[in-house]
Amino acid sequence: MIEIEINGNVVKAKAGEMLIQVTDREGISVPRFCYHKKLSVVASCRMCLVDVEGAPKPQPACSTPVNEGMKVHTQNDKAKASQKAVMEFLLINHPLDCPICDQGGECELQDVAVEYGSDISRFSESKRIVPDGDIGALIQADMTRCIHCTRCVRFGLEIAGMMEMGGTGRGEHLKIEPFLKEGIQSELSGNMIDVCPVGALTSKPFRYELRSWQMHSMPNIARHDLVGSNLFVQTYKGKVKRVVSADNDLINETWISDRDRFSYEGLTHKNRLLEPQIKVQGQWQQVSWKVALDYAVKGLNSHVLKHQKVNQLGGLASSTATMEEFYLLKKILTEVGCDNIDHRLNVKNLDNVITLDSNIKLGALEKIDYALIVGANIRLEQPMINHRLRKATKKGADIDELNVMAFDFNHPLDTKNITAPNKIAPTLAGVLKSIMISNTQELPDYLLAVEVGEVANNIAAKLLNSRSSVIILGEHIINNEDASTIANLITQIAQNTNSKTLNLSITANTMSANWVGFVPQNSGMNVNTMLASDMRGFILLDIYPQYDFHDLETAVKAFTKDDTFVISLNSFKDDIVAGYSNVILPIASVYETSGTQLNINNDMQSYTAAVKAPDEVKPAWKVLKVMADLLALPSFHYADSAQVLAEIFHQPQTKHTHDENVNLTSKHHGISIIWQNSPYSIDAVLRHSNALQKTKIGQMNSAYMNQASAETLGLSADDKYLGVPVVITNTVADDCVFINANQAVNTQGQT
Amino acid sequence: MIKKLSKLVKSFTLSELRTGLKITAKELVNKKITVQFPEERTPISPRFRGLHALRRYPNGEERCIACKLCEAVCPANAITIESEMRDDGTRRTTMYDIDLFKCIFCGFCEEACPVDAIVETQIFDYAFESRQGSIMTKKRLLEVGSENTQVINQTKFEDAKYK
Repeated sequence: MIEIEINGNVVKAKAGEMLIQVTDREGISVPRFCYHKKLSVVASCRMCLVDVEGAPKPQPACSTPVNEGMKVHTQNDKAKASQKAVMEFLLINHPLDCPICDQGGECELQDVAVEYGSDISRFSESKRIVPDGDIGALIQADMTRCIHCTRCVRFGLEIAGMMEMGGTGRGEHLKIEPFLKEGIQSELSGNMIDVCPVGALTSKPFRYELRSWQMHSMPNIARHDLVGSNLFVQTYKGKVKRVVSADNDLINETWISDRDRFSYEGLTHKNRLLEPQIKVQGQWQQVSWKVALDYAVKGLNSHVLKHQKVNQLGGLASSTATMEEFYLLKKILTEVGCDNIDHRLNVKNLDNVITLDSNIKLGALEKIDYALIVGANIRLEQPMINHRLRKATKKGADIDELNVMAFDFNHPLDTKNITAPNKIAPTLAGVLKSIMISNTQELPDYLLAVEVGEVANNIAAKLLNSRSSVIILGEHIINNEDASTIANLITQIAQNTNSKTLNLSITANTMSANWVGFVPQNSGMNVNTMLASDMRGFILLDIYPQYDFHDLETAVKAFTKDDTFVISLNSFKDDIVAGYSNVILPIASVYETSGTQLNINNDMQSYTAAVKAPDEVKPAWKVLKVMADLLALPSFHYADSAQVLAEIFHQPQTKHTHDENVNLTSKHHGISIIWQNSPYSIDAVLRHSNALQKTKIGQMNSAYMNQASAETLGLSADDKYLGVPVVITNTVADDCVFINANQAVNTQGQT
Repeated sequence: MIKKLSKLVKSFTLSELRTGLKITAKELVNKKITVQFPEERTPISPRFRGLHALRRYPNGEERCIACKLCEAVCPANAITIESEMRDDGTRRTTMYDIDLFKCIFCGFCEEACPVDAIVETQIFDYAFESRQGSIMTKKRLLEVGSENTQVINQTKFEDAKYK
């Protein structure tokens, strides 16, 4: 620690730190445009000039390191005069269109101009005008307003990992624009809106709607991935109008993904379910909550409870539910004596599930020196986790993938191992064998016959040589024939190399479902068994079968049976749901309910509702509570969801025990299909947000396969496979079709 | 003593009554200043702050660009604006309401307007015939603006040199 003097006050600082970091910490205001705490320093705007005693000229605070005994004046005549001069230059070309600029009221240039700007322009020549192109569905560009701070360019280069924006031309002709005519396509692009200090880049869906001072800002938590990014939901007259990021260095730093930023648009979609409905003699009727809930409870009683058929009742929830909702649904079912509970809707074989702990903090991910990604397109599936990995690569970490297809990463990969789905387990077994041989450990029986290939040797060597490494298991493995074997192999590899593991095969709020034990109780049935057996009643929480189930037909068949009573709690209208349900209860969607999200680091983050749900829509935890009351179940006395959470804390935490068997004997041939909903189609709100659907990621809808697989399946590039357009590319492994779909399916997962 | 004496003289000579009657007599023959409202009207300052109006450009395009500065500056929260992007890509209001019951006619909206769209006219004699009448909608404001274009232009021109 050293001491420096700023404006006559002695303050402490770390040697080598930049001056602006010290002034920011001390709350001394220094104007700036190009400096951003999470981006590199370029000192190009010169707005932060301050007077340093001993220096002949004013120095930029953002790129002047502090020295012992340094004396700095941020507000003396010399500093002020230089700041005013810079401001005058910046305003030469900046248009005076603040009244129609969306940044007006939250504009850094406006704020600084009030303090440092002159009231009269001495510039009478013509101003620069920059024509704008369309740069995508999310960002509105108005580059005449640009002051060339290059924050967006550096954001693209340093954070998003794609230099999509760049400066072309020189001097007066310098233009900041996307290099490609397709515009901005990054999954983190929305952050450019936040970093832009002027109105050059603004939010397109929010364009011309409101001023920043008109809205209420409510802290909330993003619910679309495993990170639980912190954000502010900005509301006006009870509607969500905009979402911006909030700082939390442990979770999302200061960035949020586009998915979290723009999903709010779905809330006002015309497809929202607004009133409770009951089906009477095949006809839907919109009714009051009282009628609907009475009908639901009567239906449950007559179909299930009265005839002692509790074991023919099932409760299913999608992974988007809140922790409280998982808990209450489970509590209702267990209290009526039903053990059939599940949330793992998209897993084909529930005897072969992934059980893998995540034992690395997001912050620690930045510090690893080796990562192995198994079966994940991590950039699109978990953008904020990928961001941490990217930071690690910038510090020199090596990353290898063991994927079924070569995905676009925004960081360098050391080796791209494109492996057929049925070869992943043998390869990992090879890795384990290689490691055990290196460690001179005794090999277990199942490894004796394993062949160790070059790929496996390579990975093993890197794992052994790294100081801190992580093995990441992704969603593409869920329905792999060797899923549990792969997970167990990874656990063992990690144990033998002191690696950490990260289980990204789950998503949204699955961590909460596991926390409250939303899985079959005692001898209860799992989802697949339920769908295959003779059920009389279902309670379905926010389920859209065409997206959520691996096998739509079986699910719909099970729900549509004549004497099966189905209660659906949904936020959006859906024909298939309407087809099989007997009661549909409208429930609150994101930002409309209070709840709790558990992220991959086990950070439990509770949030309150930012807006009231529209019309008759109610938060699901309330609906479940009232349903429990009507079923005359005791101990459902909750006044708010915090009390539910308090009760969850008092429950013994469910311990998951699983076998650690490795079974390498399974021989499966033929083509495996990996079906992934595309990143902006993973839940109902996202599917209804217009702007996101218009982006390139939102439009992803392809069945990728290589030439050999296409020939085996008798397909050509113009065909569709399972309703999804075929793309033939040699980046896909043999015997594999990788589908990224933004559409519903009819015959998903069938070969 | 002298004061008392002069008071006595004044009261006996009816001096004050005469002074008063003198004015009455003078006004009896002078030109009348009573204005027969509403047939006749007193002159009004160009700065008079009466009923609001929204102006248009000579080509018929509405001036207001939905910047919402008037809404922000209004001390009585009388103005409510909703905006959107019009089909031609410009920023326009979809709703522009002034609640005349809330309005205190301070003229801040006019001061704040960067495009001289919202103005206060010289109209002060208006009445509401329904409960909704106190809300000046965008349509009504624009109507007031176009009906009084000339007067508004004239008064704004007269006042411009003092701004």
